[in-house]
Parts: sequence; structure tokens; C-alpha cells
Amino acid sequence: MLVVDLSSGRMRREEIPPELLRAYLGGRGLGVRLLRGRHTLSPFDPAMPVVFAVGPLCGTPAPTSARLSVVSRSPLTGTVYDCSAGGRFAWRLRAAGLFAILIEGKSPRPVALAVSSAGEELLPADALWGKGVGETVRALSDRGSVATIGPAGENGVLFSNILMGEGNAVGRGGLGAVLGRKNLKAVTVDGDLRIPVADRERFDRARADVLRLFRASPVIFGELGISEYGTPALVDLMRQRRMAPTENFRRTVFEDSSAYSGPAIRAAYGAKKEGCYGCPIRCKKRASDERPLPEYETVSHFGALNAISDLHSIVRSNDACNDLGMDTISAAATLSAWGEARGRFPAAEEIGPLLHDIAHRRGEGDLLAEGSRRVAEALGKPELSMSVKSLELPAYDPRGAYGMALAYATSNRGGCHLRAYPISHEILRKPVASDRFSFSGKARMIKIAEDTNAAVDSLVACKFAFFGASLEEYAELLSGVTGEPRTPQGLKKIGERIWLTERFYNARNGFTRADDDLPTRFFTEAGSSGEGIDVPPIDRARFGEELTKYYRIRGLRDDGSFPDDGFLERQP
Amino acid sequence: MRSLIAKTAEKLYRDCSVVQGRVGIAAQDDVMLSEGAPDLSRLAADVLSRLSCLGVVAASPSLPFASYLLRRSNADAKAIVPLDTETRTFLHDIPIVRREELSRDPAGAIAAHLSKRKGVIAEGVGIVASGPVTLEQAYIHYSSVFHAAFVKYLLDALQAGFVLPGEAEAFRSFRDTFLQPLTAEGLPFRPGPLDAPEEVLAEIRAVGRYTVLRGLVDSFFGNISYRVGDTIFISQTAASLDELAGCIDPVPTDNRSTTGITASSELLAHRRIYEATGARAILHGHPKFAVAMSMLCDVKDCPVKDCWKDCTRVRMLGDTPIVAGEIGAGGLAVRVPPVIGGPGKAIVYGHGVFAIGRDGFEEAFRSMVDVENRCREEYFRRLDARTERQSKSE
Repeated sequence: MLVVDLSSGRMRREEIPPELLRAYLGGRGLGVRLLRGRHTLSPFDPAMPVVFAVGPLCGTPAPTSARLSVVSRSPLTGTVYDCSAGGRFAWRLRAAGLFAILIEGKSPRPVALAVSSAGEELLPADALWGKGVGETVRALSDRGSVATIGPAGENGVLFSNILMGEGNAVGRGGLGAVLGRKNLKAVTVDGDLRIPVADRERFDRARADVLRLFRASPVIFGELGISEYGTPALVDLMRQRRMAPTENFRRTVFEDSSAYSGPAIRAAYGAKKEGCYGCPIRCKKRASDERPLPEYETVSHFGALNAISDLHSIVRSNDACNDLGMDTISAAATLSAWGEARGRFPAAEEIGPLLHDIAHRRGEGDLLAEGSRRVAEALGKPELSMSVKSLELPAYDPRGAYGMALAYATSNRGGCHLRAYPISHEILRKPVASDRFSFSGKARMIKIAEDTNAAVDSLVACKFAFFGASLEEYAELLSGVTGEPRTPQGLKKIGERIWLTERFYNARNGFTRADDDLPTRFFTEAGSSGEGIDVPPIDRARFGEELTKYYRIRGLRDDGSFPDDGFLERQP
Repeated sequence: MRSLIAKTAEKLYRDCSVVQGRVGIAAQDDVMLSEGAPDLSRLAADVLSRLSCLGVVAASPSLPFASYLLRRSNADAKAIVPLDTETRTFLHDIPIVRREELSRDPAGAIAAHLSKRKGVIAEGVGIVASGPVTLEQAYIHYSSVFHAAFVKYLLDALQAGFVLPGEAEAFRSFRDTFLQPLTAEGLPFRPGPLDAPEEVLAEIRAVGRYTVLRGLVDSFFGNISYRVGDTIFISQTAASLDELAGCIDPVPTDNRSTTGITASSELLAHRRIYEATGARAILHGHPKFAVAMSMLCDVKDCPVKDCWKDCTRVRMLGDTPIVAGEIGAGGLAVRVPPVIGGPGKAIVYGHGVFAIGRDGFEEAFRSMVDVENRCREEYFRRLDARTERQSKSE
């Protein structure tokens, strides 16, 4: 692990104790563990670390595993925060002989951290400060793969991202602003080391099993799946299921959504397939002019959520967010909440200038840069922030999937679909279908999925792989790489440890059951029923009952608190 | 949760995969619930308490094939490895837990194996399977193990004969009593062509039920579709063929919408079959004798090792072509369409049967029944010939 103290400029490489890697795997788990002792610091305290960590499969041919997690505390939510990202950065970091970079302190001047297998150095970055992501990546491209912030991160936008040069984002919780406050503009990594595989035969067998399952999954390799159309393949499905958030979640059907569906994007932009390093799925899509094309969440929130059907406007919004270094979900959702509060959603032509104002904190952009909760509170309409723990909800209306409703509430990083990802079984029928309009059994399903995905984020593998494969095959891949036998149940146990550690950190920062809740709108207003599908408000009593069950399954008190203060001391 | 347990038990009895009264089911939400035979439900709950899963099924299979496979295996074997496509793709292998391993802490021993695989064969107990996400998944995994063991035993018996005391007698009972005449008689079909979507959906639901009723699928896998103009109505992925209400996707043939992302993994094969044949109906099931017979090949010294996906030959079983090819985005969507048009049916190596109807489902259903009956006949002809040779040599 490389430890970088930006205040002093000192850097050192140190061993990560093997028992920590066995207990936390890597990625999210390792990052969360490394925060211990500093988890109550303010996100902008110079001593608060930002951890870039790969997983044990990174650098091997394990499918979808060229990823890393970035972990710190979010200035948007105040929770512990991690985000996983693909591209080329992670495997180059591993190839530079590193499993993790822990960055602390604050540089007196803007700098870029350059890492290679030969060593590391801090480069002056005054000339890059103020530059967009594209220009920064081009300026540093001879140093390998680049992760950088844009103007939004420099200016402390609470939902600013860290962008990888290949177009992948460390998104949502504002970790770009944390780097910005440290005066760290970018990190570059380059390396050429090969990662050994201890038991090649076992690894190859597991890899073949994974690939066979990918081919058997309609969501992954089906002719209408994400390999063909990217995540915008979900646009038509969410429309048909009547759970596409529209006009700040006032409705759940946007009649014009076909304007930005997967087939529409392909027709308009000649979408080409692109993937993270070594990934067979290649769900990323690029336009014929090489621009990264938007994901499902982005098209839906810059589309339906703001009542915009102009595909080109949506793509331009995506371009702007990518270059300014801002999260598309939170940006679009904040604009939508602001739009509803002032009685008019922003028109397509207003979006671009507003995004630039946010990134540079100009005019109304200064307030909008704080995210929807603070905007809605400032405007005296706190109920219009469609967020959980201040994180704006993504493009799956919880009135159309009750496991998703519970998972939004219990997510340790706020309103996120990826912690438990119940869309997998409630909508996409993988690995089996569950009744989306029922809470029955959902408490345990969500708990197990949260643990599973904490392990997945620590391996670090892509969630999309699990539309086909399962921890059964990934445990075998890990066993093959390390030579130590691992089981899916053992990985879930690790996931549970990681999840509880995160919740414990959050509890120490003041989060309680009251924060595990949804915006009132979902309990009082119906979605858009029709075509034989009824979308009523969520039954609050039943929601509360399932939340209590969830706490019991987690070993927590009914108020969501830990039964004692000694949890961390019992963990490795 | 109790209603889900009851439904799971009902499914197991209905598909004749368990001995009457020998089922134990456990499921956990915030509390553990278990139902069924006291010893098996206790075992299921004990196993489940050691796993991070929703449910466990422990049951005595209605046929002794899984038990015979365990007893016929080498003493040091840790698993059986059926080579049918379902096992290759989803189960990988099936752990076996021997009596001595079960002697001290049976639940612990079984849970240790279930921590790695979806289902196990436990000596003296039967099949135990887990459901990591839903209880229904435990049923699916039980059924998949039952199916895989069935097919593997048919092949093993044909290859090596009966080797255990009582095995020949048990197999005779299976042949004479358990196996019922397979027929399409008594099942009403709507005459095609069908045009009204409501009528199409109703017929798909009905034929899906018939397919499960006649045992032409394992658990509920298999898929079904009907084409009307430029729309293919197809069962969704992981849909129970006997519960298709609300689980049929209308998919436009020009891919102008991706709503069908939840359609069966065989959507591409269905589409190509429609393009190649002009048929209106397609039925795909996994009848066990057809699956087993498709894996028998007489070619000696063949350079192809992974026959199930790499064999390019079109073999014939009577008038039914057999081709190889992986499911989903693999090769069967390439290899089935060119051969199915003439005979109206085709078998995919180790996987199952596709059958088409020019106008309606009756032709497809009767074809599938016919293929399975012919495979049954051919299987028993070969087995009888083998038994006769064995008797003479003794």
C-alpha cells in the first residue's frame, strides 16, 4: 500500500497485514477498515483519508474484476462512502505493485500524484487547476491511466465525482470535493507487473463457468441486453413496469421515454461497444465521435425526472457532467427538486448553463451545488428532496419495487440502488423472480444481498456480472488466484462484517433509524397506475414492520442501534 | 412465508420428484419456520441456521437414482458430475455426502457442502438444496439435482448395467410403475393461427401448464413462444411454465424496444427459428429420455472433446436431428434453425427438445411428446439389448 501525506509531501510503501486482506478482501472492505479510528472526522478534515483500493482478482483474467473502490466519508451524506469504478486505472495500479493508495493531509498547492512500478512522485498541478476532465486527462496521458477531478471537485460541489480517463466515474457521494479540498487534482498510475494465479487449473475452470453463465443470461448477452444496448436497455423496461421516476417522482411513467431508449441512442449516435479492461460484457457505449454515451440513470433523470425528451440535450448534459466532474444522478435530481419547488422544471436549453453554474458555484448554482436536501430546505420545502440520507434517489421508483424501497432506506451510503440491487430479482428476474409489490421475505433478501454486494465490492467485481454468475463461481476464482479455499458463504460473512462496520461508523456520526426512511411522497402519493398495473403509495406501517424485521435479522435493536459499543473491538 | 412453504411442498408433490410425506422445508425471515416430515424439517432448519440463505428443501426423491449414483461412485469421490447442460451451466457438480460424514453432525456436514454448491446428495437422507435469494430457488435447485441425477443414472445404467443389490428390481419398478404413458390426448388446444393477443397469451399459459403437467421440463425451466405479425410473445426468463400469467413478454422482431430484456434466454433461438421456418409456435422443454439419448454418440476417436458445444455434426435419432450448442448467446441459436424446419423438431445435445407448430401449439406439443416417447423406446431397447448380452456372458 502506498501512503501519501499531502501536507508534508512524504510518501511510503508499506505492507498490508495479510490477516486484514483475508478478513476484508480488498476494495470497499479494505478501505472501510483503513478508515477505522478516523471515521468520525469531518469529510473535509485534512486528516480524513481517501483510499483507492483494488481487489484480489484485479490484474488477473477474472471477468469484470479490473475495478477498484474509492473510500472516504461523503460531504454530501456524512456517511462512510465508497464507490466502485472500472476502466483501466485499477489494473494499472495493481500492475504498479500496489493494492491500495491511502491519501491523507492537504497539499499547500495543487498537485497530481504520479505512480508507476518504478516509484511515485507529486507533480505541480497549478496549470491544471480549473481545467476540465478532458483537458486534464490529455495533459497527463503519457503517465498512464488518469483519475482526476474537474472544476466541480475543486469548487467543493457536494456531488462532484472523480473521473477516470476512460470515462468511468467514482460517482455520487462527492469524493471529488474531498480530493479538491486536499488540493489533489489527479492521480496517474502505470505499471507492468504481472499478477500471479496460484492454481491455474481451478481458476480457468471457474472462469469458464462464469463465462458460460454470462452467455446464458439474457440481461447480459441477450440480444436486448446490456452488452448490446448498455444500461439504457432498461429505459423501455422501466416504462413498461411503470416505475420510471418522472417530474421529481410525482409520476412514474414518462410518455416520451422512447426518445432516449437503448435503440434510440444506438440509432442516433451509432453506439459502439466498449468495456473496462478485460471485461467480456462491454456495456459501455461510445458515440462514433468517441464521446462516452450516458447510462440509464443519466438518461432517465435528465429525461423523465426533468420532463425532457430531447435526446441530444440529455447527451450534452452527460458530456457536461463528465467534463465538469459531477454526478449525473444527483445533478439531475437536484435540478428536478429545485424545479418542482419553484413551480417549473428547467427546460432542455437551460440545463447546460445551470450545470456550469453549479460546477463553478455561480449564481443559483452555488445553492444547487449543495445537493437536493439542502436546496429543498433552503427553499422551505424539505419534502421535495427525493433523497435518503441526503443522497438523491436513482431511476427506480420504490413504489414499483418494495425490496428497492427497503434497500434505499437501509443503504449505508444513502439512497443508492447498488447496495442490495433488488432490481436484479424484482425486475430482471435474476437469479429468480420475486414479487415486486410485496414486502414478504424482503428483509432477509435485502440483508443477504447487502452482504453479498459488500463482498462483491471488495473483490472488486462488477455487479452486472451477477446477472449471470454468483458468488459460487467468484469464490472459486478467488480460490484459484490465492490458492486458499474460499466459499460463497464465507464471502457473505466477510460482507456482513463490512456492512456492520459501515453502519457502526454511521451510528457514531449520529445516524439512527430516523435516517433509514424514504421521502414522505412515497407513502402518501400513488405512482402512475395503468395498463393493468396498480402503483399505490407504499404502506408505511408495513414498511416499518419490515424495517424492524431487518434490524432483528442484522442483530440490531428495534431502533436500529447496536446492542453494545464494542462492535469494532471484536473485528479484525 | 408459511404459504410459500406450502406452495413449495405442493410443487414437489405435483412434479412427482419426492416420496409422499418425506419432505422437509425450512425458511427464515426474522424467525425460522419449518414444515413437513419432522426429521427432514428439523434437518432443513438446522442446515438453514448455518447458512445465509432464505430457504432449504430436504426430501427423499421419488426415485432412488441419486442414491444409486452415490453408491456406485468411487469411495473417494466427493461429487458426481452429470454432463447435461443444466448441470454444466448452473450446478457445475453435485457434492455427495456419505453416511460416515453425516454420523456426527449431519446438518453441519450438509451445510458445509451447501456453502459451496446449490444442492447435495446425502446418503440415507436424499437431496438437500438451498435457496440463497428465495425459497422457490431451493425448489428449483432440488428439482435440478433430481433431473441431473435422473439423466446421469439412465446413462450410467446403460453403460455399466446394474451393479448394486436390488438395483435391477428398482429399475423395473420405475419402468413399469413410475413411468406413465406419455400422451397429448385429453389436452385441449386452440386451433391456429391465433391473432388476438389475449387468445395468444391464454394459449401460451395453457400449453405451459401442459408441459409441466406431462413432466417435459425440470423444475420449471423451458420456454414457449408464439409469433403474431412482427411480435413474438415469449415466456420470461426464469418463469415457471405452469404459472405464466404476467410472465410473457411481447417482443417486437425489429428490436425497436428492449422491454424483452427479461425474455427467455432462448429468445434469439426462437427468433432465428421463426425466420428460418415461418412457424408460428415454438415449445422448448427438457424431457429426460431425450436429454439422455442425445448424449449417446457412436463415433470413435472423435477429435471433438467438448461435444455439447463444439460438435458440428447433425446426428439423427429416428427422424429427429440432434445438434450441439450452448444455451443463451451460445451456439444453439445457430445450429437449431437450419435443421428444425423439415421435421418440426430437434434435440439439443444434453439439453432438451425444440418443437414448432406451423399454426398452433398442438403440433409442437405432440412433436415433443413423440420425441420423448421414441427416446424412451430407444433407450429401453438398448438397455434390454445390453441386459441380454450381460446375461449371456454370465
